[in-house]
Amino acid sequence: MKTRIDSVEDIIRSFSEQGYICSERIALAVYLAAQLHKPVLVEGPPGVGKTELAKAAAAFLEAPLIRLQCYEGLDESRALYEWKYGKQLLYTQLLRDKLGGMLADTDSLEASMDRLGDLGEAFYSETFLEPRPLLHALRSEEPAVLLIDEIDKADQEFEAFLLELLSDFQISIPELGTVKARHQPLVLLTSNDQRELSDALKRRCLHLYIPYPEAELEANIVAARVPDLDARLREQLVAFIQYLREQDMKKLPAISETLDWARALVLLHADSLEQELVADTLNLVLKTEQDVTLARELLPAWLRKLGKR
Amino acid sequence: MPVRRLSEFVQALRGAGLRISPDEASQGMDAAALVGYQGRQRFHDALAMTLVKREDDRPAFEETFARFFAVTPGAAAATSNNSAMPEPVEEAGEAGESSQGDDGLAGDDDLTAQTPAELEQRLAEAAAQMDFTQMEVITQQGLYTRRLLMNMGMGAVDDRILQLDQGDAPRQARAEALRQWRREVREQAAGHVRRQFLLHGAGKGRALREQTMRAVPFRHLREFQEVKTLVRRMARRLASLHQRRMKKSRRGMLDARRTLVAGIRHDGVPARLHWRQRPVQKSRVMVICDVSSSVSDAARFLLQFLYAMNDVLPRVRSFAFASRFDEISEDFQRYSPDVAVGRVLDRLSGSGTDYGEMFADFWRRCERELDSHTTVIILGDARNNNLPEGAEVLQQIRRRVKQVWWLNPEARSRWNSGDAVMDRYLPHCRLARQCASLDDLERIVDSLLKGLN
Repeated sequence: MKTRIDSVEDIIRSFSEQGYICSERIALAVYLAAQLHKPVLVEGPPGVGKTELAKAAAAFLEAPLIRLQCYEGLDESRALYEWKYGKQLLYTQLLRDKLGGMLADTDSLEASMDRLGDLGEAFYSETFLEPRPLLHALRSEEPAVLLIDEIDKADQEFEAFLLELLSDFQISIPELGTVKARHQPLVLLTSNDQRELSDALKRRCLHLYIPYPEAELEANIVAARVPDLDARLREQLVAFIQYLREQDMKKLPAISETLDWARALVLLHADSLEQELVADTLNLVLKTEQDVTLARELLPAWLRKLGKR
Repeated sequence: MPVRRLSEFVQALRGAGLRISPDEASQGMDAAALVGYQGRQRFHDALAMTLVKREDDRPAFEETFARFFAVTPGAAAATSNNSAMPEPVEEAGEAGESSQGDDGLAGDDDLTAQTPAELEQRLAEAAAQMDFTQMEVITQQGLYTRRLLMNMGMGAVDDRILQLDQGDAPRQARAEALRQWRREVREQAAGHVRRQFLLHGAGKGRALREQTMRAVPFRHLREFQEVKTLVRRMARRLASLHQRRMKKSRRGMLDARRTLVAGIRHDGVPARLHWRQRPVQKSRVMVICDVSSSVSDAARFLLQFLYAMNDVLPRVRSFAFASRFDEISEDFQRYSPDVAVGRVLDRLSGSGTDYGEMFADFWRRCERELDSHTTVIILGDARNNNLPEGAEVLQQIRRRVKQVWWLNPEARSRWNSGDAVMDRYLPHCRLARQCASLDDLERIVDSLLKGLN
């Protein structure tokens, strides 16, 4: 991992080399997180590049990216560690004879128990420990970037469980004791605001809200990701998407949809946004039937308005 | 003294309603130190990231930031030589023109000889020695202005004016000019104090107002403009408090059968435990509100509160009655609470409440839906205009549902005065409480949610 980050500009440059074009605010968040050793909570509508940010940050810091996808019912055994029950059982079966032999020369029950007690430690050791993403991140040989994706989908208990990790970068495992991070990872949490996160969690994090990009930024993103697209068409496309976002839609188009559309237009060798072309490719941008129907209806009016702008 | 400025800024933010912990404040200072004070936008972003944790708070932050770190040409010129730290608002006021006219007085006094920029610096220095964060009410501004002027050394000028007044005509003219100049400086100082009050005092004033709003009877609440926001905030707080409890009650007991079956492949060893999931309780709340003139204020807030908590109380059905009885759930689903209340009042208002008739009507409509998960809440003053009480219907209802609650906006001592017949209904209610202020309401809804989950 890179230990020194010279400046925010450094981050912006590196990100844009990777094709991740971002506003200064986003780069500043990464800079502060790395310098202050604080996790960042990234919020924003879906599809604005929250997960991409983690990937770009990992590439910039030359650190491995460890990802934990959250979902309802996610618990410690799947996020932190699990004992390999199967392996433990297999070992006891295989070692049954050996155990019998070991215990043969003990004369009382207490003595056998004592001897077994000594062995007990062996069964709850690293050999039987199955590390999950969080433990991986803590024990990683080099500092890592840990992405905890869609934390709002996990249960409240899990959120509470994360607090220890986020503030002290350590976690308690009853059988092994406290595991401290070898190197502090850079933690990014993302949320789609499906439910309000607790104040305790928010307090421990820097907060970054990524909105839909401004027209200029979006044009830059499209230019970086779909370089084959004609510049004039790019302007039209971005203007149209920006206009769409002002409409009353069920699901607003995100950057990923803009890019999909741009790629499709390149494939179709389009050179300007014709009404027919837009109507045919609308379902790349709008993802619900209702929106598409509405958009088809209003399309001529929209294009006329945009032409005037 | 950036640290002090920043901590004042944090206090101002708290005054504006943001919740900032000491830890967050120190993070903010670290971040500010890291990015430096040169780039205004970056400085702003760093503070926003560390101090603002919910998007709702952003407007308040932006406003406070703009007010606190306002850039004015005069201030920038005055401070550029020592530091680029954004100064708390300084206004290059009319002092500029005034002190130009004072050239003749230059020798008289140290203070009057200063250039506008110097004067401003002097004002800032004097202000820095004072603690504006203690201001609470608007009337304290005069006092603080006077103190600020004294700190600037205005006392000497006052003496000088008195002295000049004793002398001949030209001296008196100079006194007049000085007086004019003093007025302008005072205005400038007053402006400074006013801004400080807006930053610090207004917040405390709001806290005070909020306390009052929570405690006054509902009928006085219309006079407060912020009451809507307060109700929403109280509801949100309660909702988030109970969301957690809802999830927790989902954990169940050990499911022995499934655990044993799953253990078969491990030679009967129960390697993984399975838990019996308790089905999520689907509690239903039915609210019956008296909306006749005496009770409608309380009804308005109860309904607003209940519908603001949609996340935790998804199944609320509401009914209202005055001269007529009708279901009003749809009004609240379709319109915002204010509009809905207005519509309901238009439709049903009138006087002459008949509780007996209302119970019978309710029973006819909802008999089939009353079950052991239902809570019936009745809001009313039980003033029955000497008509039959219909207590036996209430008893019937009670037998079918989980519980009946009665909320009465009047004080307990008046529950049976006049034509009120509360004691006939009381035996059938699991709980009866006075509900006359937002504080009462919050407590009631809190215990309602506790009982449901």
